[in-house]
Amino acid sequence: MNKKYIYINIILTSLIFSNPGLKIAKQIENRPQPKDMKSILEMNLINKKGKQRKSSLKSFVKDGGKKQIAWFLSPADDKGIGYLKIEHDEKDDEMRIYLPAFKKVRRISSKKKSDSFMGSDLSYEDMSNRDINENIYNLLGDEIINNQDYYILEIKPRKSTNSEYSKHIAWINKTNILPFKEDSYDKSDKLLKQKYFHFTKINNYYVIDTMKVFNVQKNHNTVLTFKDIEINSNINDDIFQEKNLKRLIN
Amino acid sequence: MITIIIFLTGLITFGSKWIIVDDDFMKIIPNDVQSKIEWDKITNEFGNIDLMFIAFGRKGFSIFNEKAFSDLWDVTQSLENISSVDEIISLSNLNRIDNVDDFIEVNNLQNSKFLSLEEIESIHNYLKKNSQVSKRLLSKNNNYTSIILKPKANVNYSDLVKEVLSVTKNKLSDWEVFYSGVPYTTGLAPKLIQNDVQSLMKIGILIMSFVLLINLRNFYAVGLVFTVIIFSLLSMMGFMGWIVLLTNSEKFYFTLLNSSMPILVLTIANSDGVHVMTKFFKEIRKLNDKDKAIKSTMDALMLPIFITSLTTVAAFCTLIWAPLNPLTGYGLSIGFGILWAWILSITLLPSLISLINWNINSNAIKDESILEKLTSKFSFYITNYPKHILTFGISLVLLAGTGIQFIKVDVNYKTFFKTGTSIRESMEFIDEEMAGSLNIVFRIENDIKEPFVLKEMEKIQKFSELDSNVTLSMSIVDVIKQLHRSVMNDDSKYETIPEQRNEVNNLFTMYSLSGEQDDFSALVDYNYNVAIITALMKSVSTDQIYFFVKNMEEYIENNISKDLNITIAGMLVAFRDLVNLIVESSLISIISAIFMIFLISLFFFKSLYWALLSILPLTSAVILNFGLMGFFGIKLSHVTAILSSIIIGVGVDFAVHYISIFRYKIKRGTKLETISNDVVNDVGYPIILDAGSNMAFGALLISSFIPVQYIGGLMVFAMFSTSIGTLTILAASAEILKKYLNK
Repeated sequence: MNKKYIYINIILTSLIFSNPGLKIAKQIENRPQPKDMKSILEMNLINKKGKQRKSSLKSFVKDGGKKQIAWFLSPADDKGIGYLKIEHDEKDDEMRIYLPAFKKVRRISSKKKSDSFMGSDLSYEDMSNRDINENIYNLLGDEIINNQDYYILEIKPRKSTNSEYSKHIAWINKTNILPFKEDSYDKSDKLLKQKYFHFTKINNYYVIDTMKVFNVQKNHNTVLTFKDIEINSNINDDIFQEKNLKRLIN
Repeated sequence: MITIIIFLTGLITFGSKWIIVDDDFMKIIPNDVQSKIEWDKITNEFGNIDLMFIAFGRKGFSIFNEKAFSDLWDVTQSLENISSVDEIISLSNLNRIDNVDDFIEVNNLQNSKFLSLEEIESIHNYLKKNSQVSKRLLSKNNNYTSIILKPKANVNYSDLVKEVLSVTKNKLSDWEVFYSGVPYTTGLAPKLIQNDVQSLMKIGILIMSFVLLINLRNFYAVGLVFTVIIFSLLSMMGFMGWIVLLTNSEKFYFTLLNSSMPILVLTIANSDGVHVMTKFFKEIRKLNDKDKAIKSTMDALMLPIFITSLTTVAAFCTLIWAPLNPLTGYGLSIGFGILWAWILSITLLPSLISLINWNINSNAIKDESILEKLTSKFSFYITNYPKHILTFGISLVLLAGTGIQFIKVDVNYKTFFKTGTSIRESMEFIDEEMAGSLNIVFRIENDIKEPFVLKEMEKIQKFSELDSNVTLSMSIVDVIKQLHRSVMNDDSKYETIPEQRNEVNNLFTMYSLSGEQDDFSALVDYNYNVAIITALMKSVSTDQIYFFVKNMEEYIENNISKDLNITIAGMLVAFRDLVNLIVESSLISIISAIFMIFLISLFFFKSLYWALLSILPLTSAVILNFGLMGFFGIKLSHVTAILSSIIIGVGVDFAVHYISIFRYKIKRGTKLETISNDVVNDVGYPIILDAGSNMAFGALLISSFIPVQYIGGLMVFAMFSTSIGTLTILAASAEILKKYLNK
């Protein structure tokens, strides 16, 4: 083995052991993930006056969410709208939308990771996987909630990282290394969002089935529910193409 | 006695610590007024609809440069951080929607604080293409850019303006900066006016002291008059505070309407003090004995001071029937102040007089003052030419009365400030160069995604823009048209409302993929059931707003589908209703006050003649006041209407004093041949001195604020018309009718 790699490994290993926060982050990253997932995504948006907007989509996701194609099932006004997203590491993400009323596919560009996803309280940054190298992890302590023991982990994006947040505080279940709750702070260090996660176990994989996001500053809620979840159904890469936006695939 | 009165005054004054100042004038409007209902509904759905406008730039230089955008970035961020700000709209935080090579981009118009020349050029080109945005945020020649500030609902505009000015002073120090909009004027004006009135009031009080001093020629005498005035003022304020503490009633909050209270109580309390002091000097001159002079003074004045106080209190108490809540507190508090002035005049004042060692041989007591001598000469004419004087007086009143038909109820906030003042120039700049200072809102209820509804909204927008005062209108229709164009390859022929509902819906969904969830929250409600059209306007008067609204309502009635539920609201619409209510309240109050004074006079004087004569001078003064306002084009506003009550307050005092002394002298056996001469000699001097000293508030005429000038002018006019009216019309009538009045 090259000496250089040996040194790097030694440094990384010592860093991990000297930084328990990073160790937990590694554990989260190494948690087994399904290759792909099919589900019915129900999205309920609730504004500060309690008014609601509900929609549901048939969604196919692959590569940890880097590729996603979805078709609106409801409300009736939106039925038939197709949405395709492909994340790239080196360039802006690609998004396409099929507008059935115009019979046109349009490419949508959003350079801002803080933009809201479909009017929800989730931003594209919230929807993306967190790169361990782009953040600094600190273990702040632990806490018992409802007889469950949690790590309290602070996640701070590095200065070089393009993020809408100054930090996150996450409660990670010590038993299964799953997040239970996360508070996200804006650039002025004010609490912006509170997120709650619920997982279900399918074929030895923990898969998220409910996510609640509360935007504290806007007093707006989003509840995402994943139903009829199927994992590792070998979704073909060809599915994630513009031509497939026009028709619902089962 | 002195200790008890001072203790009681102190106790009452202690209540002033519980006074609550409330400068939110929307609260003054009763909740059942339609414009208030609409206002509340829209504020509840869309937040505050009042907008403040800040424009900056430099004449002759294009705003499209690095420094301007860098400063715009900073100032926008700092303004967004103000806790009472709901939203800031500027070029720096606006989204742009582009279609580049079939690629729809929703992005920030300004991406960072520091922009390259290419980026600035790109913004310039985008704005050229989107006239709706550029009209809103750029001046006609691109020398200035606007920042639109939307405050949160129910915030204190004075505090907001203070914070905004501190930000702009710091961030825009290199630029010419202009401000306008309802939050700005209503936030800044009361404080500026208050400061101006306070400094001019000080000048007025100085002149008043000077007038009293050269006539009374004794420091103690002037000091005693001021003791009554100050104690009455303090008690009135304390009374308001106690009532708030005990009842928690919002009717007793100190609002903008209440700011005329001190000047009213000051003039009325001055009257009591002046009458007692001048009468005392006359009596001590005659009787050469302080105690006898005090007794004689109080014997003669006890009844007239009681009746004048009672009638004035009753007149102000009629305000409890006014439709505006704060007028109840206004009327009752002034009533209490007058009542306390009466108590002080019959208890503290004589007690203090008795404590002072008066030098009977001093010029002040021994000799008549110049004004006293002049009044004596005047009495000659009354006795000799009563019919001529009465005919002249009545003719003047009737002639002036014809001017009432020309009177107009109208308020233009801009004209509150004199031409040339920085605040007026700022508003005029924004009116002429930018998109205007005011806004009016149309609330539309229906399915907003329905093209038919959007097209009806577009018709309303187009028609509203035909009004020369409307600079532009904006609504969700503009966004739909822009999105439609973007989807259709940026082809300008598609800058239209789509024909199908699902097309409109697809556009919204497409936008939601990259826009923010509340990007449209100021234009349409969450479930797309209610939308608003905002029309930006130049500063207009309430009269112009009335015609604009009427015109729009007629258009909507005749041209827009009845399926759409449409209402029009705005601060100015509510303000128009408020002014009308105040004017209506004041007029009702003036009429009911005159009637009440008539009844009280009838009860005490037990003569229909005297009762009629008691209201004659003040009725004449009211007719003169409104008639001359009509002739001189002075608009009847909330300020002029409410201050007309000065005429009632002071006018009745003069008349009752005159009548009481007339009756007192008849009872004492004064001959009818000389009675008018004697009465004018006796009561004319205090009336003229009282009026003359109060005219010192004519100093308010030099104010930079037009309403304050009106207060000054009205003070001078009220004093002149009521005092001269008493000494001419009333005196001449009494002289002519003396045989009947003797019965």
